[in-house]
Amino acid sequence: MSTNDLPATTVEVTCTINGDPVRLTLDPRESLLDVLRERLALTGTKKGCDQGHCGACTVHLGGRRVVSCLTPAVQAAGQDIHTIESVAGPDGGLHPLQQAFVDNDALQCGYCTPGQIMSGLACIAEGHMADDDQIREYLSGNVCRCGAYCGIVAAVRQVAGMTQEG
Amino acid sequence: MRVDAYEKVTGKALYGADRVLPGMAFAALALARTGRGRLISVDTSAAAAVPGVLAVETHFDLASPGFVMGGGFGFQSLQPMTDDHIAYRGQPIAIVVAETPVAATEAAEAITAEYEDEPTALHLDSEGATTLVQEEAIPLPFLADLKVGDADAVIDASPVTIEGTYEHPPQHAVPMELNGGVVHWDGDTLIVHEGTQNANALRFGLAQQLGIDAANIEVRSPYVGGGFGQKNSLLVHIGPLALVSKRLGRPVKLVLARTQTFHNGSFRPASRQRIRLGADETGKITAAVHEVDQQTSRHDLFPAMHTETSARLYGLSAYRGRQRLVQTDVQTPGYMRAPFESPSMFAFEQVVDELAYKVGRDPVELRLANDTDTDPISGLPFSTRYVADCLRRGAELFGWSGRNPEPRSMRADDGSLIGWGVAIGNYPCNTAATNATLTAGEDGRVTVAVDGHEMGQGIRSTIALHVAQDLGIPVGDVVVQVGDTTVGTQHLTAGSWGTASALPSVHSGLRELRKHLDVADTGDVEVAPAVAAVGHAVTVHADSVGPGQPADALAQSMTGHLAITGPEYPGFVTFSWIAHFVEVRVEPTTCRIRVPRVVSVADCGRVASPVTAASQVRGGVIWGIGAALREESMVDDRFGGFVNSTLEEYPVMVNADVHSIDVDFIDKPDYRYNPVGVKGLGEVSMVGAAAAVANAVHHATGRRHYRLPIRIEHVI
Amino acid sequence: MRPFAYAAPGSVDDAVAVLRDAVPGTKILAGGTTLYDLMKLGVEAPPAVVDVLRLPELAGITVTDSELVFGAGVRMADVSDHPVVRADYPALAESIWRAASQQLRNMATLGGNLLQRTRCGYFRGTDFACNKRNPGSGCAAIEGHDRHHALLGASSLCSATYAGDFAIALRAFDAVVDVVGPRGERPIALADLHVEPGEDPSREHVLDVDELIVRIRVPLTPAGRGSTYLKIRDRESYAFALASAAVGLVIDGQGVVTESRIALGGVATRPWRAVEAEQSLLGQPLTAESARRAGEIAFADARPGRTNRFRIELGIRTVADAVRTAGERAVR
Repeated sequence: MSTNDLPATTVEVTCTINGDPVRLTLDPRESLLDVLRERLALTGTKKGCDQGHCGACTVHLGGRRVVSCLTPAVQAAGQDIHTIESVAGPDGGLHPLQQAFVDNDALQCGYCTPGQIMSGLACIAEGHMADDDQIREYLSGNVCRCGAYCGIVAAVRQVAGMTQEG
Repeated sequence: MRVDAYEKVTGKALYGADRVLPGMAFAALALARTGRGRLISVDTSAAAAVPGVLAVETHFDLASPGFVMGGGFGFQSLQPMTDDHIAYRGQPIAIVVAETPVAATEAAEAITAEYEDEPTALHLDSEGATTLVQEEAIPLPFLADLKVGDADAVIDASPVTIEGTYEHPPQHAVPMELNGGVVHWDGDTLIVHEGTQNANALRFGLAQQLGIDAANIEVRSPYVGGGFGQKNSLLVHIGPLALVSKRLGRPVKLVLARTQTFHNGSFRPASRQRIRLGADETGKITAAVHEVDQQTSRHDLFPAMHTETSARLYGLSAYRGRQRLVQTDVQTPGYMRAPFESPSMFAFEQVVDELAYKVGRDPVELRLANDTDTDPISGLPFSTRYVADCLRRGAELFGWSGRNPEPRSMRADDGSLIGWGVAIGNYPCNTAATNATLTAGEDGRVTVAVDGHEMGQGIRSTIALHVAQDLGIPVGDVVVQVGDTTVGTQHLTAGSWGTASALPSVHSGLRELRKHLDVADTGDVEVAPAVAAVGHAVTVHADSVGPGQPADALAQSMTGHLAITGPEYPGFVTFSWIAHFVEVRVEPTTCRIRVPRVVSVADCGRVASPVTAASQVRGGVIWGIGAALREESMVDDRFGGFVNSTLEEYPVMVNADVHSIDVDFIDKPDYRYNPVGVKGLGEVSMVGAAAAVANAVHHATGRRHYRLPIRIEHVI
Repeated sequence: MRPFAYAAPGSVDDAVAVLRDAVPGTKILAGGTTLYDLMKLGVEAPPAVVDVLRLPELAGITVTDSELVFGAGVRMADVSDHPVVRADYPALAESIWRAASQQLRNMATLGGNLLQRTRCGYFRGTDFACNKRNPGSGCAAIEGHDRHHALLGASSLCSATYAGDFAIALRAFDAVVDVVGPRGERPIALADLHVEPGEDPSREHVLDVDELIVRIRVPLTPAGRGSTYLKIRDRESYAFALASAAVGLVIDGQGVVTESRIALGGVATRPWRAVEAEQSLLGQPLTAESARRAGEIAFADARPGRTNRFRIELGIRTVADAVRTAGERAVR
C-alpha cells in the first residue's frame, strides 16, 4: 500500500453515533464537528473556535471526551460517538447532570453548555472530582464567556457526590 | 429559575448557525492582509477552480448600512467589498460559496490580492492618528463635555489633590457563539438566522443595503450565544451573504472563523483616562476632572461616554469632563460590556483609593462620606441610590473590618501576600421604547412577544416570571418570544435596558389583557376559563416609553432605529449601583495573582429574577477580574489589526481562575424609573470590579498599577 | 485546507512501508492536535497523511525492573492517571495534567506530543514572515511580540519556544525514545531528539521523514519520587507556559542532595536541561538560597528579546520553587 495509490478524495467510514450505526463517505479534511453539525444535523454540539481552544464542541469518542473540531472525522471509524443529543432519556427526561445544571443555574447564554455537560459527564466518569479545585482544573478546557463557572462546578460537585454516595 | 434552561442543557436551543436547511451551501471569507491601503487586484482563479465552488465574489452593489450611532444600522458605516479601499487588516475582500465547508475554506485560502500599502496608525499616540475634541466633532447635546463649576480652580485650592493617568487596552468581547448564520430567500422575502442583539437593525439595515422593503425581511434570533455588545448591530458579512444566496437560489451558511471575529465586529477601544481630584483633609471630595482620549476608526466616530458615570459617583461640587476621539486604522470600535464605565471606574476608583491612603481613611468609610442623593451634574435627585447600603452590606459580608490598611501587611500561611480592595461602580439606566403583544390561549397558556433578545442575561425568564406572578399561573404556562422580527419590532437589547424596558410594556399588556378577559386588575387568574368565557383566544398590544420620552420614539423604533432615553429624566436621574470587595493573593515567589473570593452587592432596583440576576453579577465580576488581570488585544504596528486573535492568545478567564463570588442585592424597587421598579444589572455588574482587583493588588503589594492588564511581569 | 490522501495502516510494519513509499511531504497523523490544527491554519499542507493513532503496537504503559515504558500511541491523559506514574514520577504526571485540557490530552498521543510544534503566533499565522514555516522568509517575531519567545537556544533566525510540557519532564529523567523506520529500529536519547533552530529553524528534531516513534522509555530513578513539574502561565489552566521547570532530587539521610535533575520548559527552543544548575545543588543541603542560586545558574546564559526579559527572573523563581517542592518530596 502506498499513499500514491490512494484516492485523494473520499474515505468510507462506519461508526455509531448516539447508538445508531452511521455510514459516511468522508473527505478526510472534514472535522467530526462539521460532520455532526452540517451532515447529520446534530447541532447541539457547538463551534466556538474550531481550533481546540474552547471546548464548545466536546463529544465523547470511544468513551473519552474530545474536541470534535480537531478530530478528523475519518478517525471516528469504528468508534462509538456520543453527543449532547444522547444525554437526556428517550422520553426527554434530563440526566442528573443536566438537571444539576438547571438547578444550579450553571449556564447563561447556553452556547457552551452542551460542551460543558459532555465534559462534566466525562470528568465524573474519570474520577476527577476529588474537590472543587480538581473539578475546576478538569473543566478548564471548556470556556464560558458568560462566566457561569461557579454554577458549573456546583452542578458537577452535586452529581459527583451523588455518584459516590450511590 | 431559567425558563429556557431545558433547551440549553439538551442542545435543543437553536442558535443562528444551527439551521441545517435543504440545499444549503457554505460560505467563507477571504480577508485583507494589509493594515491599510488600496486593493489593486484580487486573484480568484485558483479559488474558482476548487471542486465544489459555486461562487467567488469580490464586489457587491450594497449601500452603506450607516453607523449605528450615526443614525444607521451597522457596527460601522464601511461596507467591505464595495470599493478598493482597505481601512483595516482583516477587512473582507472576497466571499466564496461552495457545496461543503471544506471546499469553501480551501477556496477562500486560495485567494490572493495585491495592495498599495498606506501607513497605519494603531495606537492613541501613533504618528498619523488624528485627535478630535468630541463635542466639536459630534455636536450633539448628550455628547457635550460635562461641566459644573470651575473644577480646576476648586482642585487647585483644595488641601489635598491627587492625579493619575490610566491606560486601558483594547479588548474583545469574544462571545462563544461565532458571528455568522444562515440566510435564505422565500420568494422575495429574505430570512436571516443570526445571533444578534438587534434583529431590528439587521432588518432595516439590510433593507437599506439591498434597496428592498423591510417588510420583505425577517430576522430570527431566539437565542444568542453571548453578545456583550459585539452583536448589537448589522455586521458586514450579512449583506453580501444575502446577495449570494439570492444569486444562487440556495440557503447559505457562513460562520466566521474565530480569528475573523476579531476584525469583523466591534471591540472595546483603547482609552487613556486622566483623573484629578481635590479633597479636604478628611477626604471629602470637592471636585474632579476626568479627561479621556478614546480610540475610534477613521470612518466612524464612536462616541466616548466615560464621564457620564464618573461625574455621578460622588457628591462633587465641581466637575469637568473632556473627551477626545483618536482616529486610528481599525474597524469601528463599539460597546463591549460596560464599554466606558469599566475603564472609567478602573481609573477613578483607583484615584479614590489613593485618596483614602493619602488622608489616612478607610476606603469604605471615605466612600460613604462622599455619598450623595443628588446628581452633581443636573442637580436633580437620583430616583434611587443605595450604593451606601451596597458598601455597608458588602463590608459586612466580606469581613472588611478585619483589614489592616497597611499595604503588604497581610499574609497567608503559604507566605502569599493578601490584598483586600474595594471599589464601587455605577451604570446609567436608559430606557428603550418597546412593544408587547400578549395572547391568552384557550389552553390557558399566555404567549408574550416583546422587544428583547435572549443572550444569556435571562430576559426570557424575567418576563415569564413576571407574567406568571402577575396572573398567578405556572411559569411553564408562559411562552416568551423575543429576538424575532416576525412577532415584534425587536429594538436593540443592550446597555442594560433590556429588561427594564420590556417589562413595563408587558406589565401594561397584562392590565390590558385582564380587561379583555374581564377579570380583576390584580389577583390570580384562571386563564383557560376566562378565555372560554370570552369565546376565543385574546390578543392585546401594549407599548411603553421611558419617563418623559416622546411617544414618537415607538415610531422611531419601528423603522429600525435606536429609541432610547435617560439616564436624566424629568425631575430625576437614574443609575444602577454596585460595590465590589475583592481579595487577591500574590504568591510569594512567582507572584501569580489569584482571586480567591469576591463579594458584590448591587442596587438594581427590584430584583425581577433572583437566580438569573445573581448569575449575571457573577459573570460581570469574572469579566472585571479578566479585565484586571488577563485581557488585552495586542497590536503589531507593522501589520495592523489585532494579532492575538484566538482564544489561546486572548486569554479569557477559565474555570480554574474562578473561585468564590458571593452576590447580594439591595432589592429595593425604583418606581420613579418604571412601574415595575427594575433597574439595569448586566453591565453595572462589571463596573468597578477591575478597580477593586487593582486596589487589592495595591494593598497586597504596595504598588499601584496604571495600566491593564496587571500581569505577572508587573508584580514580579 | 488542501486535499490530501489518507492512509490508515493496521500495523507498525505497514505504516513503515507506507511511509517508505510515500510522496514527499507525507506526514504522520496521530491525535491530530498539532498536525490537523496546523493543516486547518494552512501552516502544514501535506499531500498525504498516514494515520497511526490506533496502531496496537503503540499502546500500553508497562513498568519493568529498570524502566517505565510508554507506547508512543498512549494518550496523554492515561499517563497522568497511571498509579505508578503518579506515585513514583509526580513530575511526569504533573507535566501532563498541567498541559492543554483533558479533551486534548484524551486525543494527543505521547509521540505526537513530543513533536508538538511551537505556538509562536507568527509561525501559526500564515500572513507573517517565518523562517520555520517558510525558510528564508525572515522572522516577524524578532521585532514583534516576543513575550512568549525563547530565552535559551535561539538563533538569529528563530526564537520560537518549544511549547510542550511532557518532554521537559522526560528530559529531566534521561528518557529515550525508540523510533522505527525502513532501516529498522533505533534509540534516540530525548536529549538528542530535538534540535535548536540554528541555521535551519524548519528542522525541529532528528527523525527522518519516514521514521515513527514507537515508545518512550524512562529509566527508573529515586529522583522520580522527589520530583515536580511547576508551570507558570497567564491563567491558572489551559495555557502554555511562561516558564516551567521539572525538578527531581534525591536527598540522603544527612539532608545532602545526592542526585539532581533540572529541566526547563517554556523558555527555550527545545527541552532544556540545566546541568550546571543541577550540579550546584549536589553535595550540600538544600536551602532557599541554594534553590535560588540553581535558578540563577540555569538562566545565566538567557538572552531576552524586546518584551520577555521578565521571564528570566520568573524562570529563576520557578526553578527555585520547583527545587523546594522536589526537596520536600525527595526520598531521604
